[in-house]
Amino acid sequence: MKINMPVTDKEVLMKKGSLLVSRTDLKGHITYANDAFVEISGFSRDELIGASHNIVRHPDMPPAAFEDLWATLKELRPWTAAIKNRTKSGDYYWVDVNVMPVFKNGKVHEYLSVRGVPKREQIEKAEALYKKLNANKAKMKPAGLAAVIKSIRGIALWKKQALALTAFLAPIFFLMYLLFQAQEYMALTVVALSAIAASAISISLTRILNHTLDNTIGIFYRLAEKKFGNSIDLSRNDLVGDFYRGLYSMEVNLSLDLAESRQVASQALRINQALDNVQSSVFVLNSGFEIIYMNRSIQQMFKNVENNFRKQLPDFNADKLIGATIDVFQQPELQRGRLEKLNSLLHTDQLIGNRHMSIDLNPVIDNSGERLGFVAEWRDRTEEVQIEQEIEALVARIKGGELGKRINTSAQQGFLKALGMGINELTDVIERVFNDINRVMEAMAGGDLTSAINNEYEGVYAQCKHNINDTMAKFSEFITQIRDAANFIDESSQEIASGNNNLSHRAEQQASNLEETAASMEELTSIVKNNADNAHQANEVANSAKLKAEKGGDVVNSATAAMQEINDSSNKIAEIISVIDEIAFQTNLLALNASVEAARAGEQGRGFSVVATEVRNLAQRSANAAKQSSELIQNSVQKVRAGTEFVNETGAALNDIVGSVIKVSEFVAQIAAASAEQSAGIEQVNQAVAQLDDITQQNAALAEQAAAGSISMSEQSTNMANLLNFFKVNAKVSPRPNPAKAQKPEPNKLQNAPLKTVKRPETRAFTQDLASADNEWEEF
Amino acid sequence: MTGNKPGKNQIEQFLTFQLAGEAYGVEILKVQEIRGWEAARVIPGAPDFIKGILNLRGAVVPIVDLRERFSLAHSEYSAKTVVIVLCVEHDSSSFVMGIVADAVSDVLDINGEDIKKTPHFGAKINTDYIRGLHVYKGKMIMLLDVDKLLNPDEVGNIDNLG
Repeated sequence: MKINMPVTDKEVLMKKGSLLVSRTDLKGHITYANDAFVEISGFSRDELIGASHNIVRHPDMPPAAFEDLWATLKELRPWTAAIKNRTKSGDYYWVDVNVMPVFKNGKVHEYLSVRGVPKREQIEKAEALYKKLNANKAKMKPAGLAAVIKSIRGIALWKKQALALTAFLAPIFFLMYLLFQAQEYMALTVVALSAIAASAISISLTRILNHTLDNTIGIFYRLAEKKFGNSIDLSRNDLVGDFYRGLYSMEVNLSLDLAESRQVASQALRINQALDNVQSSVFVLNSGFEIIYMNRSIQQMFKNVENNFRKQLPDFNADKLIGATIDVFQQPELQRGRLEKLNSLLHTDQLIGNRHMSIDLNPVIDNSGERLGFVAEWRDRTEEVQIEQEIEALVARIKGGELGKRINTSAQQGFLKALGMGINELTDVIERVFNDINRVMEAMAGGDLTSAINNEYEGVYAQCKHNINDTMAKFSEFITQIRDAANFIDESSQEIASGNNNLSHRAEQQASNLEETAASMEELTSIVKNNADNAHQANEVANSAKLKAEKGGDVVNSATAAMQEINDSSNKIAEIISVIDEIAFQTNLLALNASVEAARAGEQGRGFSVVATEVRNLAQRSANAAKQSSELIQNSVQKVRAGTEFVNETGAALNDIVGSVIKVSEFVAQIAAASAEQSAGIEQVNQAVAQLDDITQQNAALAEQAAAGSISMSEQSTNMANLLNFFKVNAKVSPRPNPAKAQKPEPNKLQNAPLKTVKRPETRAFTQDLASADNEWEEF
Repeated sequence: MTGNKPGKNQIEQFLTFQLAGEAYGVEILKVQEIRGWEAARVIPGAPDFIKGILNLRGAVVPIVDLRERFSLAHSEYSAKTVVIVLCVEHDSSSFVMGIVADAVSDVLDINGEDIKKTPHFGAKINTDYIRGLHVYKGKMIMLLDVDKLLNPDEVGNIDNLG
């Protein structure tokens, strides 16, 4: 008798609705335990499989109970009771056990234990019973009256019926005997017939019952062996018919369930097969963190890394992982305590031995939210990490400008080899590019602008190459142009220097001319002053002329008035004469009329006629005298008029003379003022000439400075040209021959000479030196 | 003086006057009066040479401008312009008429023998009103027949004039 120790008083409760299932062989060794069983027992599956079933026995359980169990099983009967079991740690748990033999081909093949959750009163009853049994106060088997009742219950049905019939027929036979004795044959016959009929019906009933039960038992056993499709009589309408129909529906449902279970199982198998064949390395843990499944890939992987793992995990055995717990890897990230709280994906990278393992652990959760276990996907990243590190080192070196190193790809395969080679090629290209750029830039630093990048590149390298080549070409072109420009500047500065010297000379000449001009201006000043004096005198003369002319005007006016009076008198005389003439005319007319009258008077009028003729003669003489006087007066009037006109003209002429004299005096005054202004103007001109003189002196000095400056500029440009010769450029832009250099005058002469010219008297000597340069002035 | 035609040797007195520089003469016995020019009353509808009518002491005297009558150049009237009032006999009746002359010259005594005949110019030119010509001091004086010249018919008949 095995006694498992120690024990505690701690009870572990089964989860509601869960079943603990185990199978044992005929000797009581466990061949199968479901997850619930493994979980509650506290043992690992490995410990349970193959062990005797009494591994979970609790010391409180009386041995009699197990003897009864085995006795019952030997009789091929199922056994049921509440049992107290012990966990590995010593805790206890109650289960409601059903143990039954499993038949195969009509023989007991194994035993199946199914444990449910017991009811509390069941536990109490059992506990009380087991205490009594342990104290030998009770027995498992019934005794006494209980045994009799049990044995009566155990009598076969047909025997019971025979007994019942006997018990039934005995009083009837007795009654028949009484009737026979009383010779009541009629009643005897009736009773006998009734008894026969009743017996027949009873026998028939029993037969039917037996037959039905036999059939049913056969069906049940076949069902237990999962054999379906049994023939069941469904035609009866009585209770037996109902029984058969119930049985039939049970069979159908069971077959359906089995079919479904098989389907699920095949699906599970399919998934299992599929997992076996995937490339990913996968294992599955149950809720006890035991490895219950490993696909081929992970088996291969663990096999490969076994030796590496053993450096850290000496007990690691790739072949013994199934059934082992996750703790075999001894990784803090993968400890039970941490995983129990896990309800989502856990990704972790672990270094085991010297292998880099990437692990994705995912809980498997059923429909009720219960975690069934974990699925873990492993990946050996060692090579990846290695090449990552190599790439990292290479990139660091490239960052540091070290381009000579390469990744060793000989040990790599597949994608990683391609990656390594790709990075190597990339480095090659970068190295080549930088070598090219370096070469060209080095040449450029040395002044050689003829080198270029000739290797073929693509993309931004090609752009870089073109840009550098273009830069070199442009730079070369610029240097050539600058060199030409420097030569030109050199040449020009020579010309400017000689030109400046000429300019200086001209400035000196200008200065002397200005002096002469100043002298002339002084003469001009005296002349203008003379002018002003003369103008003043002329003004005075003009004024006196004006006064005299005005006096003449007055005389003319009085003459005009006198003439007017004469004219008036003449007119009056003329009027008088005209009156005389009129009188003469009238007299003549009268005389004529008198003549006419005398003629008419004839001889008597002769004397009168003579008188009239005399009168007429007088009148005519008067008329003639008047006419002559009139003519004379007219003549004198005309002459007076002419005289008046002359006088008037004289007056007008005198007025004109006065006006002219005034104008003349104004002009003379203006001339005087103009002369004064001229004098002032000439003074200003004098000052301006003096300033011009100063400025000309300054100009001369500046021209000399400019000459000196242009000479130093020439030297600078020569220096620049020399500096530019440092650059070697393509022959296609050949440097221009420098004509300026050939003609370059001696700088000493040019430098010394202008410095002297600052002093005035010495300019002559200098200008004579450069007299020949005057001819070039126009062209400058 | 009607019926007392002077004979050839009889001396006649003529009043000479100036017209456009030429001297003309009329018988002095035909002259009624010599007057200075005064403006006449214009007669509407009358020919141009009839200058109008004058009231001469109660008698209405028509005034004829001889310059215009003889188609000579017209001249302005002046203080020396004179009107010679003539007594014209026509068909045994006499009436007074004035002629405008530039000036009155003289009273001449002309012998009938010294009166030259008017030359004949043909039928077309009427010379009836010219009595004759007299040369005096080298100048030719045209002597006019007043009765024929100032005949009312003649005066009115323009066609008969040259």
